[in-house]
Amino acid sequence: MTKKKLLLNIFGPILSVVVLLGLWQAIVVWGNVAPYIAPKPWDAIRAVTSNWSTLAPLTWWTIKETIYGYLVGAFLGAFLGVVLNKIPLMQRVLYPLLILTQAIPIIALAPPLVMILGFGVMPKVVIVAWIVFFPVTVSVLDGLNHVDKDLMTLAKVFGANSMRRFLVLEMPAAITQLFSGLKIGATYAVTGAIIGELAASSGSSLALYQRSASGSLDAAGVYGTTLLMTAIGIIWFLLVVGAEYLATPWQRRSTARQWRRGAKPVLTNN
Amino acid sequence: MKRNFLSISVAGAVMALSSITVLSASTLASASTLTAVKFVYDFPGPDMEIIPVVVAEKEGFFKANGLNVSVEFPPSTSTTTQLLTTGSGDIGFITTSDMAVAVEAKAPVISVANYSMTNNWGLFAKPGSTLTLAGLKGKKIFSWGDTWTNAMIPFVLKKAHLKASDITIVTGSNDTPLLMKGTIDFTTSTTNYAIPGITEATKSAPVGIVGAAAGVPNVPVWVYAVTHNYANQHGKNVRGFLKAIKAATIWASQHKAKAVADFMAAYPKSGYSKFYSTKGWALTVPLLTNAAGKYFVQTNKQWTTLATALKSVNLIKSVPAPSTYYTNKFLP
Repeated sequence: MTKKKLLLNIFGPILSVVVLLGLWQAIVVWGNVAPYIAPKPWDAIRAVTSNWSTLAPLTWWTIKETIYGYLVGAFLGAFLGVVLNKIPLMQRVLYPLLILTQAIPIIALAPPLVMILGFGVMPKVVIVAWIVFFPVTVSVLDGLNHVDKDLMTLAKVFGANSMRRFLVLEMPAAITQLFSGLKIGATYAVTGAIIGELAASSGSSLALYQRSASGSLDAAGVYGTTLLMTAIGIIWFLLVVGAEYLATPWQRRSTARQWRRGAKPVLTNN
Repeated sequence: MKRNFLSISVAGAVMALSSITVLSASTLASASTLTAVKFVYDFPGPDMEIIPVVVAEKEGFFKANGLNVSVEFPPSTSTTTQLLTTGSGDIGFITTSDMAVAVEAKAPVISVANYSMTNNWGLFAKPGSTLTLAGLKGKKIFSWGDTWTNAMIPFVLKKAHLKASDITIVTGSNDTPLLMKGTIDFTTSTTNYAIPGITEATKSAPVGIVGAAAGVPNVPVWVYAVTHNYANQHGKNVRGFLKAIKAATIWASQHKAKAVADFMAAYPKSGYSKFYSTKGWALTVPLLTNAAGKYFVQTNKQWTTLATALKSVNLIKSVPAPSTYYTNKFLP
């Protein structure tokens, strides 16, 4: 990666956030928007920092709900993707059901979940997992369905058993797609946790803090918690991007890894 | 305080679109000669407390006062005042605690009439339960998470000599199924919502501790409010609206069954049964007049009591002059 490209990758997103905050500030100031309707960006940020002692445990709770639900959803989604690919009958039977699960409004799903699972972390985990698993399943399934058939035949001819073919050919082919699903899931996961918190919470939560701030016409508190929720989503997304970076080196490298036993450096003309 | 928050919220978007036309449908022909007024309710969906507005439209009281009133529903509770200040609504229906909070936030709104006159908020348990303030310690108590409930719970705790950590506040979208299942011990609501809901589910009246017995200040719960700007520029509309609402309220108090029928016809998909609305409206009617039998009349005492009480539980920081909160000058 050239230095120019690296700088662009770092400063591009920062610049877009600064422009967004600038636009927000301009709208509030030039539009003469009352502080109980919409705050200035800095006031929203200050509403978080000045109440951090209250918000920190609530934020950590939301992060835990997000992580637990995400991991369950991601694992379940990947597993289902593989199962549906390996057992075509299951794919025909279950695929419509999977689509059906996503047609159910989460907001309608939340109250029965609370009835069954109570007010703790479980309903939130289920809601997040419910949101996350579908894009992961579809992505994995799509990746596995598009493995080069000729390569598969070739591997078979050379005596590779099904497990070997899966590990060497199918999994690497599906992993890029898997991360697409994981990234989509990462952006939605926090939304699921917040919906769960709104549906039912014991004690306090980030969503209830926001609702309470809204009831007190504390727009800075409302926007501040929104920024906080957004930050959780973005950080989680970036972590997934980081995991993708580490897990898919071939996306950045056209040559084979040199650490493999017996591998020799491949000379290129570049 | 209202029942089935989430399920009604789902229907809220549809309601918001349809209600505008439903209520004004009968007056479309003459709408051009009438003054348009946007009324904003306090909840994302309609329930029986909106009956005076429905009757005023259905029975022609708005029209007789030169008004064409459309009804809007807010996206969530406690956002009605914001909708008024942004001009999305002209006359709003809010709780008195919302009003106090709005004044604290320097939102230019003022209460123009009481809806109810007494505090009918309290704690409720399923029929046959034991509900005492002394027995609250360690219990799970349901809250709707709205400003009014947030404001009232500290008073209950104070009267029960408990700390916030002595109870578990549970927030959700529907209290009755949780109460029936035993997931929560008690719920919080007003008599006109809790009693119909629990009675409908159990066929028996709930156990309750209400008002002063629960330690809460005896102040009106709901008011009609407008912005200062609207009051100054469209005082005639405010006066006409309240005149029509008063006539409609009296009519609906005398013809309860017909009033509920009007509500059910206006909002057939409200999510509330005829039983619930009938029982709820019957319980609402006695709340609408003061000891002298008067509608709407606000007093310095009610606002001072409320503001002092809310300050004592840190919901607001200062107690302004009562005139900051209200005016009776538009009363019919």
